[in-house]
Amino acid sequence: MRIFLQRLRRYSKLGYLSFIFLVIFYFIAFFADLFVPYNYTHQWLSKSFCPPTKIHFIGPKGHFHIRPFVYNYVIVNPALRTYKEDKTKKYPIFFFVKGPERKIFGIFKTDRYLFGVQKPAGIFLFGTDLYGRDLFSRLLYGARISLSISLIGVLFSFVFGLITGGIAGYYGGVIDYIIMRFTEILMVFPSFYLMLALRAAFPLSLSSVQVYFLIVLILSIIGWAGLARIIRGMVLSIKEEEYVLAAKSMGLSDFKIITSHIIPNTFSYTITALTISIPGYIIGEAALSLLGLGIQEPYPSWGNILSSTIGNLRVLTYDPWMLIPGFFIFFVLINFNFLGDVLRSVLDPKNW
Amino acid sequence: MEKILQIKDLSIFRKIISGDTQNIIENIDMDIFKNEIFCLIGESGSGKTTIALSILKLLPISFDIISGEILFEDKNIIKMNKEEMQKIRGKKISMIFQEPSAYLNPLMISGKQIEESIKENEPDKKSRVIKILKEVGLEEKHYFSYPHQLSGGMQQRIMIAMSIINHPLLLLADEPTTALDIITIHQIIHMLKELQKKYQMSILFITHDLSIGMEIADRIGIIYKGEIVEIFKPMEIENLSHPYSKKLFNSMIGRYKKGERIKITDEKNT
Amino acid sequence: MRKLIIKRLLHIIPLVIGMSFITFLMIRFSPGSPFTTLRMNPEISPATIAALEKSFGWNKPPIIQYLDWLKNICLLNFGISFTYHTPVLTLIKYRLKNTLCLALFSLSLSWILAIPLAVIAGYKENKFIDKVLSSIAYISISLPSFFVALLFVYFVSKTNVLPLGGTRSLFGANVTPYQHFADYLSHLLVPGLVLTFVNLGWIFRLMRNNFIDVYHSPYITTAWAKGLSTKKVLFRHAFKNAINPMLTILGLEIGSLLNGAALVEIICGWPGMGSLILHAVLSKDMYVVMGSLVISGVLLIIGNLIGDILLLLTDPRIKIS
Ligand SMILES: Nc1ncnc2c1ncn2[C@@H]1O[C@H](COP(=O)(O)OP(=O)(O)OP(=O)(O)O)[C@@H](O)[C@H]1O
Ligand SMILES: [Mg+2]
Repeated sequence: MRIFLQRLRRYSKLGYLSFIFLVIFYFIAFFADLFVPYNYTHQWLSKSFCPPTKIHFIGPKGHFHIRPFVYNYVIVNPALRTYKEDKTKKYPIFFFVKGPERKIFGIFKTDRYLFGVQKPAGIFLFGTDLYGRDLFSRLLYGARISLSISLIGVLFSFVFGLITGGIAGYYGGVIDYIIMRFTEILMVFPSFYLMLALRAAFPLSLSSVQVYFLIVLILSIIGWAGLARIIRGMVLSIKEEEYVLAAKSMGLSDFKIITSHIIPNTFSYTITALTISIPGYIIGEAALSLLGLGIQEPYPSWGNILSSTIGNLRVLTYDPWMLIPGFFIFFVLINFNFLGDVLRSVLDPKNW
Repeated sequence: MEKILQIKDLSIFRKIISGDTQNIIENIDMDIFKNEIFCLIGESGSGKTTIALSILKLLPISFDIISGEILFEDKNIIKMNKEEMQKIRGKKISMIFQEPSAYLNPLMISGKQIEESIKENEPDKKSRVIKILKEVGLEEKHYFSYPHQLSGGMQQRIMIAMSIINHPLLLLADEPTTALDIITIHQIIHMLKELQKKYQMSILFITHDLSIGMEIADRIGIIYKGEIVEIFKPMEIENLSHPYSKKLFNSMIGRYKKGERIKITDEKNT
Repeated sequence: MRKLIIKRLLHIIPLVIGMSFITFLMIRFSPGSPFTTLRMNPEISPATIAALEKSFGWNKPPIIQYLDWLKNICLLNFGISFTYHTPVLTLIKYRLKNTLCLALFSLSLSWILAIPLAVIAGYKENKFIDKVLSSIAYISISLPSFFVALLFVYFVSKTNVLPLGGTRSLFGANVTPYQHFADYLSHLLVPGLVLTFVNLGWIFRLMRNNFIDVYHSPYITTAWAKGLSTKKVLFRHAFKNAINPMLTILGLEIGSLLNGAALVEIICGWPGMGSLILHAVLSKDMYVVMGSLVISGVLLIIGNLIGDILLLLTDPRIKIS
């Protein structure tokens, strides 16, 4: 692993940067609780679709303030939902402020938030949604859901693909034939249609935990076929290599050969294949949630935050900050694609 | 005798990704006379192909000619632009490449690939191609064959047909016989020799096999690590001076001896 | 050659059977009979439901049911939509026409744009223009289709330059066929351009990489050595050989276009297969879901077949083996 990273760094600074970015992103998503100014359910009834809060350094009289501050936003036209800053009072931004008590990871109780301002003002870096919830906080919590689904989904497909593809490649014959035909049939469906149809095969209203695992299941069913075929191909090519033949002739068991020879030798290819396939899972989750078939309110995911803009030109036109999750998806995808490309060329023996 | 090609003090570098450069060819001087078969012999990686490619100005981008002249008909090829080169390539100087299977376009029938070399406005192109096909020992039907439908030897003959169809003054034959069996090698060598006499060409014949060189060359140049260490006529083979060419000569002799010995033991065994 | 095509065609049969079987499993074993929703609808008489149940053999053993269902879909009888009360086939026909128009529009536009740009970029490998074009392609690849659609809809709704949603805005008897066509096309533009942009990046990248691979291959050196002009080397040799493998992609594209189109259709309000299957899923209209799934699968198979056959026709190396 370390050698792998070193090689990556030496080969492409940018690829390494993508890797670091992604690690940071996943870190923030995992510890979302620690970074948010508000809880994801915290509603501000008077601040529906409030635009992103401006952060000021210069006061109304032209003085410079070391500590940045914000103004309270008051509604001007309730019908059009236009807001303006109330410049009469400044609300400086403080760190580790007190707020409503909450549980981190559902275990640790705390009433502190990383940053915030005094009520009635609020600090909404990315504005608020229909219910006046802070979009920034929801985005971070949403990242946790969206990114974890993609990781768990890819791991599920991978384990399943490893078992089936490994068996198909290693034993060949009838088993191989059956498994391969089955993957072929799965791949005949356009994945989006298959995803919706699989979703339709389950009840529409499920508890949030059920939905979460249902999405993981659906995405891994769809992603499994491709991975199984890749793994089968790798096993086939490695099976005939000399060190495996040597191990066989020494009488090692199949299991031992697979775990100690085949898997380590395909490690880097596998990592690349996984990196390349993760974007598909992120898009899949986002698409399902976007259409209202995935993660349900009040839980946030990148897809379901975006869903308020679909078929609703009003929101799209007047509250464009609701599109911000899309940029996050884009950012994560471009890093994954980049990393995938770089990994592919790092692995290419021509470039060593 | 009249010189058709003069290479003077040629040096070629290759840029490596890390920014360094690597010497491929160092200060080479060599001439090729009219109607001569000049044989360039050296081990793998010694820079033989590089020399041939530089004569056609077809070096890969990472290669740089840093000094020297290549004079053809008293003009320096290195200084020529694309249009001038187009007039020379395939018409006055043509090349047979090392691996015909990779150097033939897989999606084009062989006949068309040969026909392309002929100038745009000449008449009867197809019959000319068929004539040349017969000349190199192929048949009319091979006009319509795709390269993958031909054997290695036949592909090599297509390559040869392609390169001689315009009766060039100089033919660069880059190991035209590697990967072929002994009988085919001899057929092709003899065919080249006959074609050379017939069309009054000069040939730069590249090989790593000294015995082939002895068979067809008028003169032989030995190249070692990018430098030409010795140029001699086949009959002067016994008095070589450079240690590398001596080694090459001894290994050729040794191989024959070894071959004989194996034969003898084989007979004993049976 | 003909044998190969027949072999490919025969290969389709198990695929279609397997595909329909999986689809069948999904209807049959999803919780709740597809008729439950129907029963709750007071507008439909129990007699109709009974007739439907019978026509789909819902009370026979599953294997017989599957065979019946397979027979039915072979006769293009996909059942009746529970929400629209029309045969699924009628619904799909209309939607499919729109989806295919959308897909073909973006397919042709993205190829027309991407291929020449890819050749330019590949020819000028690592030069400024290549870097610019490749970066744009990278962005296009990394932007999810639904997000491009949302951004484009946002832009269009701000500027009002194009009609949004539906397939037409001109109605009445005195609309000439030409006006009708122009109207349809103008509605097609929003989803069409979005899908084109999404598709552009992939095609560009594949073609550029192909072109670069081919351009550095030995037979291009041969072409130069023959003294051919730059134009001939580029088009007769490099371009032809680079575009050849793209023909398989052309077939595969149908699948990816259907996928991309579905979301784009839903967001841009284009009445195609995407919004059909979505609404069917939301209202548990199982026969529509399954019909769309089978049809989309068949389209994908046809697409792959077209790609294979095109490659067979153009690549002489495959004929022999
Ligand atoms: N495409 C290339 N990339 C990197 N290095 C190259 C390339 N082509 C040639 N070289 C280097 O240039 C040197 C000379 O190569 P060249 O092809 O001229 O050798 P050669 O004498 O023709 O060998 P052979 O008998 O194997 O054909 C070699 O040492 C090789 O390392
Ligand atoms: Mg060589």
